[in-house]
Amino acid sequence: MRSWRSVAEFESFLDGGGIVEPVDDMPGEYRDHVFRFIELHANSELMGGLTERDWIPKAPGLRRKMAVLAKTQDEIGHAHLLYMVAADLGVKTRTEMLEDLFANRSRFHNVFHYQAVTWGDQVAIAYLVDAGALISQQAVLKNCSYGPYKRILRRIVAEEGFHMRHGEEMLLVFAQGTEVQRELFQAALDRWWWPTLHMFGPPSRADDPLLRWHIKSERNEDLRDKFVQKYAPLLTGYGFVPPDPDLHRDPDTGRWFTGEIDWAPLKATFSNLGPDSARRVGDAARHWRDTSWVRDALETIATRPAAA
Amino acid sequence: MSAHLEATPTLNSEVGEALRRVDDPEYPGVSIVDLGLVAAVRIDGRCVEVDLIPTFSGCPALAMIAADVSSALGQLESVDDVEVRFVATPVWSPARITPAARRTMAEHFTVAVSSIGRPTRCPRCRATALVEESMFGPVRCRSIHRCRTCGERVEVIR
Repeated sequence: MRSWRSVAEFESFLDGGGIVEPVDDMPGEYRDHVFRFIELHANSELMGGLTERDWIPKAPGLRRKMAVLAKTQDEIGHAHLLYMVAADLGVKTRTEMLEDLFANRSRFHNVFHYQAVTWGDQVAIAYLVDAGALISQQAVLKNCSYGPYKRILRRIVAEEGFHMRHGEEMLLVFAQGTEVQRELFQAALDRWWWPTLHMFGPPSRADDPLLRWHIKSERNEDLRDKFVQKYAPLLTGYGFVPPDPDLHRDPDTGRWFTGEIDWAPLKATFSNLGPDSARRVGDAARHWRDTSWVRDALETIATRPAAA
Repeated sequence: MSAHLEATPTLNSEVGEALRRVDDPEYPGVSIVDLGLVAAVRIDGRCVEVDLIPTFSGCPALAMIAADVSSALGQLESVDDVEVRFVATPVWSPARITPAARRTMAEHFTVAVSSIGRPTRCPRCRATALVEESMFGPVRCRSIHRCRTCGERVEVIR
């Protein structure tokens, strides 16, 4: 176990690329921030996995079903690992985290507060949301100061890269598809473009503790810009139109600019008041209650006195 | 297992080199050859046939791996035609993973590979103190363990 005499000393350890391990005597504020960040990630993987799962029976064809199944398992598996790592920080137990999530006492990413209406939405999610998540996670991985999270992120980023390839492949099918397919994706893009831009978060404060503690390494607006610079030209190149009349490319610099972003829909999701929040949380809570017999049975087996 | 692969003469050829550059989509930096996914390679003039074995049937990466193999071999001057097949035998097992790939997986991904008759070591602290926490990890070929010595959450390829 390592300890630091002052927060300033701890910060210079982090600034020098130091990696914190669970056994270290880290400052309480750092522990809380790392915990909340990982809890948010875990909640989002779980809520994302449950949403993905809804599409297993509806996915068109065996290959897509296999991909949706695999994505569901990936996301639930990531949630599983992340809840373990979060619980190891000793702030909340895994059960407390889940109960807080189902009782609207904690948060998950904004993109899981919306309904996926058609298969086109699933394509938009795989193509845009997965790509956005990957950009954010790669940035965290680059300079993350908390060891166990950094090591799990390496695997998550590799697996998300795989999801993204799947999203790209599906998008190509729709982009080169029939008029009906193109309309289906355009309608989905209308629904998912802004939530995807919101996903990176509101502009970072200059004193953002997540940046100061090397939990994140890039400002929210820089990550969002990275996404826009890559996806605005791709989408428009395929002939799709993001629902932003002010989106344009500066002819001199070649850079893309979005119109002004309305933050109200994002803020609503912070209090679980997004368009589909109540149903999503309600469904997840019901699954948790419906499966309590499995946990009870495992508990009974684990605590049962050994047969004589 | 690497011995078996070296014994396949074609893997020393240009085709073999190209196959070694095809990474598993979920482990960038680890080639499908080192994971033991290549069962056989047959070269007939300018046609190449590759037999691959899936780690698990229904592995969602199969189509992507097949596409990557076709594209890697298709780029070779000496190759006109590539045929990729998935075969049911031999059955894949973690024993097919080469020592080099095991090292990369431990160091880069904190993933351990189980071996028959030997306890699995924690990829971080090398202790043989892994306790299974869940049979189900993020992918079908991995389970989740905890190291009793260093506390790390480790995934094990089984």
